[in-house]
Amino acid sequence: MKKLLAVTLGILTAIGGFVDIGDLVANSEAGARFGMRLAWVVLVGVVGICVYAEMCGRVAAFSGRAVFDLVRERLGPRIALLNLAGSYLVTLLTLCAEIGGVALAVELASGIGYLWWVPLVALAVWWVLWRVRFETMERIFGLLGLALVVFVVTFLQLGPDWAATRAELTAGPPPGESWATYGFFAVALFAAAMTPYEVFFFSSGGVEEKWTRQDLVTERLNVFAGFPLGGLLSLAIMGSAALVYLPQGATVDSLGQTALPVALALGKVGLIVVILGFFAATFGAALETGLSAGYTVAQYFGWQWGKLVAPRQAARFHTVMIVSILIGVAGLLTKADPVQITEYSLVFSALALPLTYLPILIVANDRDYLGEHVNGRFANALGLIYLVLIIIAAVAAVPLMVITGVGQ
Amino acid sequence: MTDQPQPLHMDFHLLDRQIVDRAGLMVGNVDDIELDVGDDGVPYVVALLSGQEALGLRMGGRIGSLLARVARRLRQADEPPLRIPYDMVARVGTDVVLSVHRELLPEPGLERWLRENLIGHIPGARDEGQ
Repeated sequence: MKKLLAVTLGILTAIGGFVDIGDLVANSEAGARFGMRLAWVVLVGVVGICVYAEMCGRVAAFSGRAVFDLVRERLGPRIALLNLAGSYLVTLLTLCAEIGGVALAVELASGIGYLWWVPLVALAVWWVLWRVRFETMERIFGLLGLALVVFVVTFLQLGPDWAATRAELTAGPPPGESWATYGFFAVALFAAAMTPYEVFFFSSGGVEEKWTRQDLVTERLNVFAGFPLGGLLSLAIMGSAALVYLPQGATVDSLGQTALPVALALGKVGLIVVILGFFAATFGAALETGLSAGYTVAQYFGWQWGKLVAPRQAARFHTVMIVSILIGVAGLLTKADPVQITEYSLVFSALALPLTYLPILIVANDRDYLGEHVNGRFANALGLIYLVLIIIAAVAAVPLMVITGVGQ
Repeated sequence: MTDQPQPLHMDFHLLDRQIVDRAGLMVGNVDDIELDVGDDGVPYVVALLSGQEALGLRMGGRIGSLLARVARRLRQADEPPLRIPYDMVARVGTDVVLSVHRELLPEPGLERWLRENLIGHIPGARDEGQ
């Protein structure tokens, strides 16, 4: 019974934890402009994160080490330093976007401009990282993030024309959109599903929760049930935006517009629930990116990291997190639009994807760490297919950004 | 006798690996290795070197020497970089486990400085298992 509860809780946490500011922005923008024509990218992305998160979980369970802790051992300090620089900068940009997302959610609830909330939000994020137990933190924000299920209700309530939706699934760009913008949003959605911090956090979190081989079944259930259900939320966000905005030819460029379909379908109660969902999803992701910033740096240098020891025993790790949050705040206080920061964070995530996922594939094939539990043929075949997709997305990201003027 | 892979490949089993103390707390990475040659002409590991200075010197090049220079600035002149005699190594597995507690080893200067001047001053810094 207790085990069942743990599994359920893990799955629920994964559903709520999958969606962050990148998914909120990219899915509603893509829905408004392309209907469900890009839904396949979300499916492809969800399978990809499942394949690689499973590898990370296995490495953590059998070696007791986080994947990125092992990168330096296998790639050497020079290449690993390059990897660290890329991973850290992308995680920092994502952290900045998530803090902005939380502040925007509070603005929606309070009517007071988001800039005023940025310092408070940052302080709250730091406080949780400083004080709250790892599992408690994960569960509270994961479960509250489930409020985003309201998008599924919204989609059904708005009464989709199923035949038209089905026709969209396999269609190219609609009139008025080019293949370039179609490609740009495909890359952004793919990056939103496979954002690098998700695997940094997942593998280090496994070590923090002291996974052993007995936890492997639970961990796989969480991955293979939680992430796809989280992907379903992403599709519901896309679908709701499609039903409201596509017929009008309107575009989405603020978090308020992402929430509007819910308000139209479900009124005030729906709006309250969706704002709560935004808050939880972005706050949870801010915690995960903040931790990931600390994890990547501390693991490269071999410093003590993690929330299991007192902060004074991991002073360098906590300092990296504090400094990262402060840089994120400074970025937001330049009055750069958080939605635009999110768009850029997705482009640069796409660019950094090979740096993140190639090492996972290498380590998951290393008998020195995993013994007989290295990747089988199936995992390797999928891993390689995804590596090709990841490289295509990385190569295409910047040219598509330039050609389309960030998807305009 | 140390429990370790046979044969032990320095670049594959030791270099860049995480060092933990006997309680599982992290000490640092194996950033470089000190070798000596025995009477039989076979080289053996004398000590593990840890810290950004050792890492920078091993990496070499512009970035390596910058890293080493910064690390040297950050430590006090009278304290040497962390050098762990190989006798203290209990086991070489997915990490390098020492037979001692890390309190017995010199503490990295940056860690101590940040704790004494920043982290240690914030309320709750002592609370474990957070």
